[in-house]
Amino acid sequence: MKQENIRNFSIIAHIDHGKSTIADRILELTGAISEREKQDQLLDSMDIERERGITIKLNAVQLKYNYHQQDYILHLIDTPGHVDFSYEVSRSLAACEGAVLVVDAAQGIEAQTLANVYLALENDLTIIPVINKIDLPNADVPKVKKELIDTLGFKENEIILTSAKTGVGIQELIETIIDKVPAPTGKLEDKLRALVFDSYFDPYKGVVALVRIVDGSVFVKDKIKMMATGATHEVTELGVNNPKAQTKDKLVAGEVGYICGSIKSIRDIKVGDTITLENNPATAVLPGYKAMKPMVFCGLYPIEANKYPELRDALEKLKLNDAALEFEPETSKALGFGFRCGFLGLLHMEITLERIQREFNLELIATSPSVIYEVTLTDKSVVPVDSPAKMPDRAKIAKVAEPYIKTNILAPSVYIGPIMELCQNKRGNYISIEYLDQTRVNIHYEIPLSEIVYDFFDKLKGVTRGYASFDYDLIGYKESNLVKMDILLNGEVVDALSIIVHKDFAYKRGKAIVEALKKQIPRQMFEVPIQATIGSKAIARADIKAMRKNVLAKCYGGDVSRKRKLLEKQKEGKKKMKMVGNVEVPQEAFLAVLSMDEEN
Amino acid sequence: MKAVYIHIPFCSSICTYCDFSKMYAMATWIDDYLDALDTEIKQNYRQETIKTLYFGGGTPSLLSIDQLQKLFKITGQLKLAKNCEITFECNPEDLTLAKLEFLKDKVNRLSIGIQSFQAHLNKILGRQVPEISRIKLAKQYFKNINIDLIYNLNEQTFTDLKNDIATFLSLDIPHISTYSLIVEPHTKLFIQGYHQNNDDIQSEEYLNEILKHHGYNHYEISNYAKPGYESKHNLTYWNNDNYYGFGLASSGYIDNQRYENTRNFKAYINGKFQAEKHKLSLTETLQNEFILGLRKIKGVNRQRFKQKYGFYPETLKVVQKLLNQKYLKQDAHNLYIAPQYLYLSNEILLNFMDTDLLKH
Repeated sequence: MKQENIRNFSIIAHIDHGKSTIADRILELTGAISEREKQDQLLDSMDIERERGITIKLNAVQLKYNYHQQDYILHLIDTPGHVDFSYEVSRSLAACEGAVLVVDAAQGIEAQTLANVYLALENDLTIIPVINKIDLPNADVPKVKKELIDTLGFKENEIILTSAKTGVGIQELIETIIDKVPAPTGKLEDKLRALVFDSYFDPYKGVVALVRIVDGSVFVKDKIKMMATGATHEVTELGVNNPKAQTKDKLVAGEVGYICGSIKSIRDIKVGDTITLENNPATAVLPGYKAMKPMVFCGLYPIEANKYPELRDALEKLKLNDAALEFEPETSKALGFGFRCGFLGLLHMEITLERIQREFNLELIATSPSVIYEVTLTDKSVVPVDSPAKMPDRAKIAKVAEPYIKTNILAPSVYIGPIMELCQNKRGNYISIEYLDQTRVNIHYEIPLSEIVYDFFDKLKGVTRGYASFDYDLIGYKESNLVKMDILLNGEVVDALSIIVHKDFAYKRGKAIVEALKKQIPRQMFEVPIQATIGSKAIARADIKAMRKNVLAKCYGGDVSRKRKLLEKQKEGKKKMKMVGNVEVPQEAFLAVLSMDEEN
Repeated sequence: MKAVYIHIPFCSSICTYCDFSKMYAMATWIDDYLDALDTEIKQNYRQETIKTLYFGGGTPSLLSIDQLQKLFKITGQLKLAKNCEITFECNPEDLTLAKLEFLKDKVNRLSIGIQSFQAHLNKILGRQVPEISRIKLAKQYFKNINIDLIYNLNEQTFTDLKNDIATFLSLDIPHISTYSLIVEPHTKLFIQGYHQNNDDIQSEEYLNEILKHHGYNHYEISNYAKPGYESKHNLTYWNNDNYYGFGLASSGYIDNQRYENTRNFKAYINGKFQAEKHKLSLTETLQNEFILGLRKIKGVNRQRFKQKYGFYPETLKVVQKLLNQKYLKQDAHNLYIAPQYLYLSNEILLNFMDTDLLKH
C-alpha cells in the first residue's frame, strides 16, 4: 500500500463523550468486526475500563475502506482518557497525522477536551471536530457549535454531526478523515525510525511494542535497537491488528503495527522511545521522549501479614503491563512488610488497587497518598521525600518545597463562588478566570498537588453538582511551610498514619483525622486515646470508649452450632482488621487521613 | 450417664422474641407428634441410664392431661437414674391444680416462663401477664423452680427491672435465668424492625449485686441459683457433655457427633427425624469446650479437661496469650473469664476460632 492511501488518526474526547462508541461504529462500518463479534466498546478490553467508561491501555487497529474506487488503509490509535495518562496520550498522538475531536452534544467542551486539543496542536495534527450524541433529547447542537467556533476557532462547515448510537454521520466522518488528514510522508528508503506509543505483555510473545513506522522499514529477524535505552532485540514477530493480530513479514513507513522480540521486561520498551536497526542505525531520535515518572505514592500492605509474597507477585504481574507502576519494599512498624508504590496519578492508583483486590483477591491497606517533597537540609543538600516516614528530623530541615499544579476547571459560571472557596481551602493561589461563553468559565488556580490527591475532585463534583470538569498541568516546586504530623493510637505512633501537612492547616486536619478515626475504629476491650502530634506537641485528641458488652445471653443444647456461626462471622469481620499494637484497626481507617476538612 | 432433651413444639400463642421451633397447638397434630416422638426414641435411644430429663418447648405445659399421660408413657422407656433431675417448662397460666397434681410425681423441677411481671412489657413480648397466685400454687407442689426473666427491652426502665426482681425475690424461688433480649432473625420483633440499642451493662451489674446479696450464686452468664439448685441438665451443655435431643428441631451430641433434627413437621411425623449429622474434629470439639465452658462463671475444669484431651488447657498458645492479657484467669481447679470481661466473652472466644487452635 502506498503511503498516499494511508491515514493515521486518533480519537480524542473528554471522558464519557462517546469516544469508544464512535470507534466501535467505525470498526463496524469498515467491516473490521462482524455483526457476530459485536460487543460494545470493543477496544476497551479490561473489565475496569468498561465499568468506569475509561480507556487505560491503548489499542491500535488497521481498517480498510474503499472510497472513490480507491482502497485506503486507516490506522485508528485509541488514547487513554485521563489526565494521569497524558504522556501516553501525547505519544499516541505523535504517531498520527490527524485527530478526531469528539464533543458531547449535551455537555459541550470539558476540561479534557481542551487538554487533548492542546496536545493535538502540539503534535501538529489536523483536527476534525465532531459533535456526538446528537440523538440525545437534551442535545444543544447550536450551543456546542458556538463553543467549538468561539473557544477553539473551528469553522462551522467543518464540524461533523454524529450519533454513534444510531450510526448517523459515521460514514461522513470516515470520508472526511480520508479527505482531510494528510497521508504519512515518511521516507521509505531512510534508516528505520519507529515510534513506540504503547507496549503490553503477552504471556506467549513477551513484550509487544505498538509502533508507528515513521521512516524506513522493519522485517522479521531484523536486529532492532531501542535508541533511548540502548537495548537490542531480534524481531520474532510483527504485524497489524485488524483488530485481531495478523502477522506480516514487514512493516514500512507510514504503517502502524506491533513488534515482538522475546522481550521479557516491559521496562525494556519505553513509551516514546525510537526503534532503529542495530547495524544500520538512524542518527536522530524522534522528538518528545520522556521517562515516565510517578507523581503519587502510597504504601500498600496486605491485611494478613503472610500474604506479602502474594502481594509482591501481584505487583510484578501488573508491572508486566504497566511500565509506569513502580514499587519497592517498605516496612512499617504498624503494618509490617509492604511496598511503597508510585503511580502517575490518583486514578492510576485507584485502578491499580482495585485490580489487586479484584484480580488477585488480596485484601489491602493503602496508606494515604503522598507526593514527592523536596527537602533542603541545613547542610544545603536536597533530598526527595515520597513518604512521611522518610521525612528527616525537623532540626535538620532548612526548607521544604512541594509540587504545584495549574488547574483547568470548566464549569457553569454560577459555581464560581463555591469553586473558588474550595480552591482557597486547598491552599490554592488564584490566577485567572476565562469565559468560554456567557455561562461557562475556565478557572485557573495554582494548587499544591498534595491537596489534589486527597478529595479535591470529589469535592469539586460536590460543589458543582457534577457540572465541573477538571484537568491539570504540573508547574514545578514551590516552598511551603510543611510539617510532619503523627497520629498516636493508645500512646503509640502509627507510622502508616503520619502525614505531611501545611502548618496553618495542621490543627484543623489533626482534629478532623482524630474524629474520623474515632468513628472508624470500633470500640475495643479497653479505652483507646487517639492523638495528633507535631513533634512532641499534641494538637488534637479523641477517645474511643471501651466496649462494654458482646455476649450471647443464651446458649443451650441447640444453640452451639449457631453460636459457632456467629463467632465465625465475627471472626471474618476481624480478618479485615489490622492489629496495630494491641488495637484492631479496620482497613478504611488508614484512609481517614483523607477526611481533611469535614465540617466541624 | 446421659441427658435427654425432649421438645414439645406447640404453643397457644407465639411470643414476639421466640425463635425456637414452635407451632399453634392442634389436638390431632399433638397426637401424631407424640407417636412420632415414641418412634424416634425407640429407634435411637441406646438404653443408657439418664441423669437428667428436660421437657422444653414450645410450651409443654399446654398439653392436656390425656396428652401428658401419653407423653410420660413414652418417656417411661427411658432408664432414669434414681436421683434424675426432671424439668418441665411451663407457662404460668397452665399451672392449674389438675396439672400440678398430675405433674408432681412425674417431674421434680419446673421452669416457668415469666419474662416480666409487668403488663406493658408482656404486651411487647406478646405474652399474658403472669398471675402471681399460680406461681404460689406451684410452690406448694415443687421446691425446685426456675423463673425466666427478660430484660433490656428499649421500653424497660431501670425501675421496671428493679420491680421485676423485687417481685421475684418476694416469691422466694431458688433459681432464675435472666436474659438480655436478643432480637433473633425470623422472630416477630425482628420482622417489625425492633432494634435493641442498649450496649451498657448497668442492668447486669445490678442483677449481679442484688441477686448475690440475696444468696444466689451466679453460675452462668445468665443464670443464678441458690446453692444446690443449679440446673444439672443445662450444666450438661456447658460442660460439653453428651445428650440426646428428641423431637422436632432438637439437637443432640452423641459419640462425638452433633446432630440436628428436622424442622419440618411433616417430615418428622413421617419418621425422617434427623436432618443433619456432623462428626466433630478435635479442633471443633475444643472450640465447643471453650465456647460452652467459659459461659460458666467457674469456667472450664482443668482436671476434667486433661482427662478428656490429655493436656491442660493452659498449654495451648491461645490460652497462654489470653492469660497474659488477663482476659482469662485460672486457679488450681478452673480456667475462667476474668469477671470484668464476662460480658465481653464473645470477644475473648473469637481467639479460639483460629484453625491453629491446637498449637501448644
